Amino acid sequence: MDFNIKNMLQLRTFVLMLLLGGVFISCESDLDVTPEDDDELLADGFFENEGAYKQALAGVYANLSLTSISDPGGSNIAGLDAGTGQYIRGLFNLQNLSTDEAIWTYENDPGLRGMQRNTWSSDNPLILGVFARASYEIALANEFLRQTTTEALSGRGESEELKATIQTYRAEARVLRALANYHLLDMFGKAPSVTENDAVGFDQVPELVGVDLFNFIESELLAALPDLIAARQNEYARVDQGVANMLLAKLYLNAEVYTGTARYADCITVCETLIGSGYSLTPNYLFNFMADNNTNGAQNEIIFPISNDGTNTQNYGGTTIIIQGEVGVPENNGESLGVNATGFGGLFRVRPEFSRLFTSNPLYRNDSRNTLITADRTEEINNVGNTAEGYIITKFSNRTSTGGFGSDRTFTDTDYPLFRYADVLLMYAEATLRGGGGSTAQALGYINELRERAFGNTSGNITQSQLTLDFILDERSRELYWESHRRQDLIRFGVYSGSSYLWSYKGGPQTGTAIPQFRELFPIPNQSLSSNANLTQNAGY
Amino acid sequence: MKMLFKRTLFLLLLLPITTIAQSVISGTVVDATLKQPVPGVNVIVDGTTNGTTTDFDGNYTLSGVNQGSKITFSYLGFRTQTIPFTGQGTLNVTLTEDASELDAVVVVGYGTTTKKDLTGSVALIGEDDFNKGNNVTAENLLNGRVAGLTVNTGGSPGSNSEIRIRGGASLNASNDPLIVIDGLPVSNVANGTRSIISSINPADIESFSVLKDASAAAIYGNRGANGVIIITTKKGKQGLKVSFDSQASVSRLTDKIDVFNAAEFRSLVTERFPDRLDLLGNANTDWQDAIYRDAFSSQHNLSVSGALADNLPARLSVGYADQEGLRKTSSFERTTTSLSLNPRFFEGNLKIDFNANLNFERNQFAPGIEGNALQFNPTQPIYDPNSQYGGYYEYTGANGLILGNVPRNPVAQLMQTQDIASVRRYYGNFKVDYKLPFYEPLRAVVNLGLDESTSDRFYEVDRNSALGTNAEEGETLGQRSDTDFNSSNRLFDAYLVHTKAFGDFNTEITAGYSYQIFENENFTTNNVRDPNSAPPENTISPDVVLLAYFARGNFNYQSKYFLSASIRRDGTSRFGPDERFGYFPAVSGAWQISDEDFLKDSETLSALKLRLGYGITGQQDISSQYDYLSRYGLGDSRSQYLFGDQYYTIGQPFFRNAGIKWEEITEYNAGIDYGFFNGKLSGSLDFFRKESNDLLSSAPVPDGVNFSNQGFQNIGKFTTQGVEFVIDYNVVSNDNFNWNVNYNTTYIDREINKLAFGQDILTQGISGGTGNTIQVQREGFAPNSFFVYRQLYDTAGAPIEGAYVDVNNDGILNDDDKYIAGNGRADVTMGFQSTMNYKDWDFSFNLRASFGNDIYNNVNSGNAQYGNVFRTVLNNVPTQVLETNFVNTPDVILSDYYLEDADFLRMDNITLGYTFDADKMGKGTLRLWGGVQNVFVITDYSGLDPEITNNGVDNTIFPRGRTFLFGLNYGF
Repeated sequence: MDFNIKNMLQLRTFVLMLLLGGVFISCESDLDVTPEDDDELLADGFFENEGAYKQALAGVYANLSLTSISDPGGSNIAGLDAGTGQYIRGLFNLQNLSTDEAIWTYENDPGLRGMQRNTWSSDNPLILGVFARASYEIALANEFLRQTTTEALSGRGESEELKATIQTYRAEARVLRALANYHLLDMFGKAPSVTENDAVGFDQVPELVGVDLFNFIESELLAALPDLIAARQNEYARVDQGVANMLLAKLYLNAEVYTGTARYADCITVCETLIGSGYSLTPNYLFNFMADNNTNGAQNEIIFPISNDGTNTQNYGGTTIIIQGEVGVPENNGESLGVNATGFGGLFRVRPEFSRLFTSNPLYRNDSRNTLITADRTEEINNVGNTAEGYIITKFSNRTSTGGFGSDRTFTDTDYPLFRYADVLLMYAEATLRGGGGSTAQALGYINELRERAFGNTSGNITQSQLTLDFILDERSRELYWESHRRQDLIRFGVYSGSSYLWSYKGGPQTGTAIPQFRELFPIPNQSLSSNANLTQNAGY
Repeated sequence: MKMLFKRTLFLLLLLPITTIAQSVISGTVVDATLKQPVPGVNVIVDGTTNGTTTDFDGNYTLSGVNQGSKITFSYLGFRTQTIPFTGQGTLNVTLTEDASELDAVVVVGYGTTTKKDLTGSVALIGEDDFNKGNNVTAENLLNGRVAGLTVNTGGSPGSNSEIRIRGGASLNASNDPLIVIDGLPVSNVANGTRSIISSINPADIESFSVLKDASAAAIYGNRGANGVIIITTKKGKQGLKVSFDSQASVSRLTDKIDVFNAAEFRSLVTERFPDRLDLLGNANTDWQDAIYRDAFSSQHNLSVSGALADNLPARLSVGYADQEGLRKTSSFERTTTSLSLNPRFFEGNLKIDFNANLNFERNQFAPGIEGNALQFNPTQPIYDPNSQYGGYYEYTGANGLILGNVPRNPVAQLMQTQDIASVRRYYGNFKVDYKLPFYEPLRAVVNLGLDESTSDRFYEVDRNSALGTNAEEGETLGQRSDTDFNSSNRLFDAYLVHTKAFGDFNTEITAGYSYQIFENENFTTNNVRDPNSAPPENTISPDVVLLAYFARGNFNYQSKYFLSASIRRDGTSRFGPDERFGYFPAVSGAWQISDEDFLKDSETLSALKLRLGYGITGQQDISSQYDYLSRYGLGDSRSQYLFGDQYYTIGQPFFRNAGIKWEEITEYNAGIDYGFFNGKLSGSLDFFRKESNDLLSSAPVPDGVNFSNQGFQNIGKFTTQGVEFVIDYNVVSNDNFNWNVNYNTTYIDREINKLAFGQDILTQGISGGTGNTIQVQREGFAPNSFFVYRQLYDTAGAPIEGAYVDVNNDGILNDDDKYIAGNGRADVTMGFQSTMNYKDWDFSFNLRASFGNDIYNNVNSGNAQYGNVFRTVLNNVPTQVLETNFVNTPDVILSDYYLEDADFLRMDNITLGYTFDADKMGKGTLRLWGGVQNVFVITDYSGLDPEITNNGVDNTIFPRGRTFLFGLNYGF
């Protein structure tokens, strides 16, 4: 009797254990985990949400300003500091810091010394950052195009109305992809050949070089144009026909550098279209670079702004690094620029060759574009690490046109004017002087329009005979300094490499030295080269 | 029913199983030391199923015993005795505690074995072997005791440790060994708490098993790649036992970084920056003295073990530790309660073990202000009566407000910051081990584990602090945030064990299933005082689910030839459906050579065993949790984009790797265990080689085809080879005097064989500049090798600032001229321990040494240049600048000049104790002891301490103090 009970108990224990096991066994499906956080979604789930397409489109744009989806200190590009890898900052590093317009104080920051002394290697992280960030922009645009094909949209049962709207979004994404390709063409002479038809993953895609890349960009822009909203008619900060035409104009202006074939006539044609699109110079030059430049009238001049906001669009690149970096030490003039007094401790100064564009002629004391602070400073920079040597500037500001402050003292509100109408006028003049067939009188008129805005009167106006290519090069710098044009301009004018024009620390030493022509293109970063065997290194590296 | 159950139990315990009336034998089993009855002893007639167990009073009765048969008495932790039955009616047995190392029970994955039967490379560290002294966290009981195991504990109270077994096996995936507490593998995620094991009371630990090689660790396939440390906690036993331990200690700073004192600094500024004299103050402050203190600590533990209601073995312990850190305000406070219930039913056929631990930790974290302390101007005061920043001196500008980009008063930083985490952690397991009544050789084991922790971290910076939000703009907002972190880890294991002997051939087959799920959730308010900060945010990490089927067979013939083989099929939620399952086999064998006839009678060589092992373990512990899925992330409030006049939440796809799969580590191990002169001299020698294949590492991706330029992929391969040698020598052993010494040493050589596309990966950020790295992963070299410029020296031997060897002779000095110079890991590590007992005195000490490791002195490289003396304000710099006369940090920061040899010999602990035994005390024993922790370090390294984590980059550390301790142990 007792033994039976014992056995029963034991049996019962055993059965219980088996049951317990049964509850847990066959849990292999648990390995299929899904995101639980409300900020993270599976791709299919994401596009089911209302407004997801516009959010995805915003994602493609945002890569021009943000470095991650959450934290300004985080980055979706690895291999360098988050802020340094921001799109605009990368552009600024390669287009401005590698020239006479700017110098960075802290040469212990990786890659900076090589960049500003033109001694970069293919391991330079700043170069890696630009190549990767621009390629990432291409990947984002491709993903958007992939997710918005007619089949995909029909598959999700989207309305015809939405499909029509998305047609415009798609054209914008193509322009953004063309923009990134244009930047790669300009700085590297080549780009990975990848479109929405390629798979996401690890494919070693072929490269698109020189004229082929040029043709691809041009055809993409021309194809997108009809689907884009007319210039100045789209929402602020979105791509319109003006942006596409501007990109075409830049492409044509530099075509001889990129392909060996000049396209100045095409440049003039597109510039004329742009000039007829309703853009206007904002009366106060500096309004273009202020915290409220999206509303203070500068929006009539800025063709394509890259949005920045102290509260909603925080990053350590763009105008944040530029404005914080403008703050001088020992001046601690951050307050006047709308940031904390010491800014980021005197990151930037200008080189003497640039400041002399304003200081060599007393005329430019009255130029509103001259924002140099010279008091108690030497124009020459004998020690790069000495923040008190070299002049500083105050062009970009986090103050508003009415004297207010941006929404934050660390992250600025100022949008970066990637393309500005003033550049169109300068391009028209230059292309005309280069034999593109425009009117020289018209060109002079456009230049004096800029000069009158700069000087507030006609005192700075020039004559037809003064309108030379050399003048244009200098005037472009006076008008467009720190707007990521300088390296491109110096190359187009043939004075970037070689010894015809030496600026401080060009090539290394303070006196400047010749740099070989191969440095007119940056090397493909070693990392990019190694991960894609179909990319080839640029000559000389 | 309850009544029936009790009666059954009663009958079971008293009645013999068989009723065939033959000779009956009975008796009492007691233990040799305490002369206490031992319940639960297995009494079995050899070669039969006839057996019983002793009752609560140690009594047994066994019938049906034939003349001449042998009766075996066995009990865990005691030496097994076999006595022939010669017809004696009463047989009282005295069991001696198992002093033999070889019979020591070693807990391995899903079971136990004895040291004698081990085939893999496993180290057992029991309570007697634990390090003495100030061991606040569990891993410190082990430091230096196990060949191939390194423990590097920081100086902060309750500090986290970097634990490595055989150097770790991964590049970017985790290198932390798996820690298993009573069968429950714990998560590697620690939040709010100091470390994943800081909440465990070391006094509750009975033993550690360190599974070093893959043949042993493969049974934990999915997480065994870096070895396994199995912690077994103390259990309840019959016989009331009470012990009380208490200790108090004071810790002092041993050294400071040499910077200029106030007078020297004045002359330095006068000489170098004569136009900045106005920035000098009149005070005379040693900022390092100002941020440190003598730190007092105490620990108290009380444990009671015995049988509840006479038949429920139980143990209850309560512990309290309160540790101050040398850095002011830092502290660690821990209260632990541990309950263990270990009932046995049905003649011990049903064993239930229930362990529950409820622990509380209260951590006050002190911000790392060492950098500011060594920079802050020594001629400025700590306090300033006119300061609006809480009375602390701060650098202010013309408008009276604080300046940016200058050091903040480190004392103010400490005193005006409250960063307190309260952690409640519950963990425990419920294990049922059941020998099936209808088929004796089979046992079924179910283990349920749970580990849950909740932490609340409160962070506040005083409103008047210069660190406050908007303080530079004259607002005094301070900072304030609350963070809650909840994590849970649940385990279900079920397995069957089949044990059967076929003559001299013994078999044990284990097969089972394991399921584990980890969940984490994190809520933060973000900085509520900052109007522009992100809003409160709840982050839910994806669940990590690990699932496995495993089987193992242990076989031996005559306990002389051993073979063990195991296989495990593991699934992880981190990988996609096609790649998530991996197979992890292992096989190992051993030959007890000394049991062979030709050696059996050797007086000299008393033990010799050869072990060979091979196994594959897996690694999936990477930060990215499901890259195989197509996912989109939504931007937070700071990451939106403007269209028109409206900010849009952005959506961006995440990096995708559909094919990500297991990293596999194949390890070969060959070893011998030896013993001479009857075990007076013993030890082991092991050779191992680990090959990590399909390394999980964040590596470059072709640009433009994925949503980052880098992401986790299976790339490359690296190998680790090494030798471990252990020797234990019982120098003297007699009634009055015992002296035992133990020495172990490990040599490890690690090399990366292959990386994706052969591409270097730059790694290990340093301070001085934004985003600098000092190390590289490169094929053909050790992981994390230093990657620097080769310094040029003048004829006098002084380094020339900014002058380096143009390695590639291209006339340009750039990244291409860097070379590889050593790494931060030791080639050779050693541990030595000496334990002496003379009558009632005990004296022990241990030493540790490390050779072949280099340190990059980032404290000097990032600070010791004259140019740093004036940066908006005056800054102090290390006096090392006097040796170099370097001016600009940018020119010198990547110089190999700052690489230093970091070999060291450290005495971790020295302890002297005296025991008042039962004779003197009447009841129980009392031991009083005193000791010193971190007694001395011998090294050429010029920095504070040559023992650092951070891959050998010294960028100021929380210093380790020298600790003086006094304690007592009382027990009865």
